[in-house]
Amino acid sequence: MQFQATSATFSPSRRRILSAGAFGALAAAAGQGVFAAQGAVPPRQLTARRGAVQLVPLPNPPTAIWGYDASVPGPELRLRQGERLRVMVENLLDEETTVHWHGIRLPNAMDGVPHLTQKPIAANGGKFLYEFDVPDAGTYWYHPHLRSHEQVERGLYGALIVEEPEPPEVDRDIVWMLDDWRLNRDAAIRDGFGNFMDISHAGRIGNTVTVNGRIAETFKVRAGERIRLRLINAANARIFGLEFAGHQPRIIALDGQPIAAHAPDNGRIVLGPAMRADLIIDMTGKPGQHYQVTDTFYPRLKYRLLDLDYAVEPLRDKPMETEVRLPANPLVEPDIAAAKRHEVLFSGGMMGNMRGMSRGMAWAINGVSQSEHVHEPLLVLGRNSSNILRLVNNTAWHHPIHLHGHSFRVISRNGQPTRHREWLDTVLVAPREITEIAFVADNPGDWMFHCHILEHQAAGMMSSIRVA
Amino acid sequence: MNHLLFAMTAALVTLGASMTAAADHSIKHATLYKNPSCDCCEEYAGYLRKSGYEVDVVPTHDLDRIKREHGVPEALAGCHTTLVGGYVVEGHVPLKTLNRLLAEKPRITGISLPGMPQGSPGMSGQKSEPFKIYEISKRTPAGVCNRVTD
Repeated sequence: MQFQATSATFSPSRRRILSAGAFGALAAAAGQGVFAAQGAVPPRQLTARRGAVQLVPLPNPPTAIWGYDASVPGPELRLRQGERLRVMVENLLDEETTVHWHGIRLPNAMDGVPHLTQKPIAANGGKFLYEFDVPDAGTYWYHPHLRSHEQVERGLYGALIVEEPEPPEVDRDIVWMLDDWRLNRDAAIRDGFGNFMDISHAGRIGNTVTVNGRIAETFKVRAGERIRLRLINAANARIFGLEFAGHQPRIIALDGQPIAAHAPDNGRIVLGPAMRADLIIDMTGKPGQHYQVTDTFYPRLKYRLLDLDYAVEPLRDKPMETEVRLPANPLVEPDIAAAKRHEVLFSGGMMGNMRGMSRGMAWAINGVSQSEHVHEPLLVLGRNSSNILRLVNNTAWHHPIHLHGHSFRVISRNGQPTRHREWLDTVLVAPREITEIAFVADNPGDWMFHCHILEHQAAGMMSSIRVA
Repeated sequence: MNHLLFAMTAALVTLGASMTAAADHSIKHATLYKNPSCDCCEEYAGYLRKSGYEVDVVPTHDLDRIKREHGVPEALAGCHTTLVGGYVVEGHVPLKTLNRLLAEKPRITGISLPGMPQGSPGMSGQKSEPFKIYEISKRTPAGVCNRVTD
């Protein structure tokens, strides 16, 4: 499949445009589609700037952040599958930035990787127009790809939601952007970005966890309600493992891509940094009751994320019984038998061999510690070729490995075939684990391939793959 | 203050304070703060236990704060932080040096073996040269340290 940066394939009758201040559905309702097709509607504006947000409740002071439109998270961008995203990003920060549209398949020039796919957006007023069609429905997000270990950590991120042409019937479609922050007692973001302790261990994990930019406490629901909950892990380094006491959430999509509805292993939804999960949760609890949502990922550091807080009045007597099945996205199936095989070795970190690493580097991919975005590619893949990458994590740490521009199937872990052969764009590889992924290299360009623990990325765990 | 803000750290602060108080009565009690995913630190705790110490291992994501609050400059930060006998001990300090510290009771903040060298207690590999153990002191600016070798 090819992705057109131009509007050559544009069909005004079927496509609408994410336009100034209005989401696709609104634009269509207002009959703006045709004007949009003619380019009469200006793109949506998105400004990276400083701001102040009440991350922690009063009487704590607000926290100085960097955010899109000065908010955390940035505005939720929502459009329909097949539509065109047009966003004019203005940079009012004191430093350069870019915007990467995480997980969505797009033309290389729109991928937001500094120097590799575009010039950085200049500080104090630079602009860049991002414009592309969205081929796949699902849950995605956007964030900077320049000094991201600090820019994302300070609050630059937002959700990008692509709706199915006919979304499944639910009562509410909700996004939870999960993040953590390392705050001082005055609620200010602590400095010390990229210190050696963080880069050589688990990354910068914070002391305050927020949902949609605030400490959530409770989430109000009604008995019998069906909610599509889109979880996005926007944290630099924290892995979440969420458990919903008294409820049976089912996973219907991972990293935007549909999957057969199933209960999570051990009742826990595990999301490494940058990963997403779409859940269907039927509110089967009792009216007036509270049910805890806990994060149990790190041993002995379990905590309560929030409570599901049931209203006294139920919405319906019995939960909905229909099974949700999302239509597949137009991904090309890799030919496993004919696929070329490649070995990718991840090494370094504490309890690993960091000898030979240059200053400030702690990690390597196939022996190379890379921190610049432009470099010799790790692999060169033939256009439309099927490939299997054997990812060998020879470290004592988890790594969420992200490939730009493509989704891939996870076909095995430690030699065992995976149950769901899930499509992902970011795969969490456990310590000492070997994970095989397969995909068709159908999107031409140089694509980043890196660990999404942003301190690991900054400290050498970065590479790129060229699709010739 | 909201209970979720610093919820994790608040628990640790309370725990840390009580342990420090306990340490005044029993010099053989140590509290070791470590990254929850790090195994070497557990090895070091085991090493201390074998040598007669009672060790509480406290996993935390906020080692950075704990180090700051106990006066450890970044240049001397080790993998884990141990509080023992009123001192802060950074990294995989061998028992001989630790015991000497606790016996001689110098007026310093603590000691550090930074850089997690191969062959030190809890670390794999072979010791290839004498360990450089540094004094942590309020009197010396960060990065300027007296050196002891072990």
